[in-house]
Amino acid sequence: MEGLDLLKKDWQKERNFPKVTESEIYSMLHKKSSSIVKWILIISVLEIAFWIGLNILLSDEKQKEMVNLYHLEKFMQISTIVHWTVLAVFVFLFYRNFKNISNTSSTKSLMSSILNVRKIVQYYVWYNVVVTFLIFIIVWVSMLLYDENINQVLQKANDSGTEIGIWFGVGLSMLVLALLMCGILWLFYRIIYGILLRRLYKNYKELEKIEL
Amino acid sequence: MEPKLEQTFVQQIKDNQNLIHKVCRIYTSCLDDHNDLFQEITIQLWKAYPQFRGDSKFTTWAYRVALNTAITLFRKKKRDINTIEINNDIHNIDFAEYNYEEEEQLKIMYKAIHQLGDIEKALVFMYLEDKDYKEISETLGISEVNARVKMNRVKTKLKQIINP
Repeated sequence: MEGLDLLKKDWQKERNFPKVTESEIYSMLHKKSSSIVKWILIISVLEIAFWIGLNILLSDEKQKEMVNLYHLEKFMQISTIVHWTVLAVFVFLFYRNFKNISNTSSTKSLMSSILNVRKIVQYYVWYNVVVTFLIFIIVWVSMLLYDENINQVLQKANDSGTEIGIWFGVGLSMLVLALLMCGILWLFYRIIYGILLRRLYKNYKELEKIEL
Repeated sequence: MEPKLEQTFVQQIKDNQNLIHKVCRIYTSCLDDHNDLFQEITIQLWKAYPQFRGDSKFTTWAYRVALNTAITLFRKKKRDINTIEINNDIHNIDFAEYNYEEEEQLKIMYKAIHQLGDIEKALVFMYLEDKDYKEISETLGISEVNARVKMNRVKTKLKQIINP
């Protein structure tokens, strides 16, 4: 191919690139990197911090009262232990995977190690979504079982024959809540990681396609 | 990190800066992007430098980091439309050896390369640098056979871009 041969000949000539001086290189070393790995680290730490913060914020006096009222003490004890253990495991996995990112590995393994870190954080977020939803259901059920006010309403509904309507309402509102939560998260990921990782996904897919 | 290590590193970058410039040449098309990518590659090389043992050549080691930065790690900044084209700035040829026809053809070639995907650009870069398929496959993390197949496809694609 004539064009490529010509290009190769031209390429291997010493060309006049702008010369970067020693002092310029020194100053570069002290500038901040703007690599996507740094952004992924920042966003991931924020995500994990968000869920920890939410847990702490929600465990106030009012919640303790509610736990006592609905007989959820045992459940809360166990779930707290499970929750913090899971968090510790996730943080450990995140740290280990993050450490595995090396800019001296092959292009393909660099990409897959970055995507692995993302996967860990994504699993953590989905874990939290599922747990939050489960807690909602458990609190709802306990409320229906133990809350006197609600029991009165239910009793009245039972007398007038509209109980089914109430159950239907409860189910529907839970479904809406779950969909809303998933929707917000989906949007969040589309925006944040769409911008950050679109190119990486594309290139990773292309490398995979070469190996097919 | 030690000042001595820093000094050695800066010297090595200075001596081998053409390698980084060449990667920037393939992956960017304006001077600002070129300089940004140059800086990010230097930072990434510096980050990885403590692991550089010197049992491989500095350039062989640097190729990989530079390409990884260009393909995966570098985030291009959003810019205004008015950017300075780099093509003519750094493509100065002595008057005596100036060949108008060849020069035009080269411009078309570079333009075509800029239309390729990131992985394809890496293949063209390593072809131009005369790397063997073993190194190409190790750098990208694909098998030698597939590197060969892909290289041929990229060449065909370039041909098609130039002569549609």
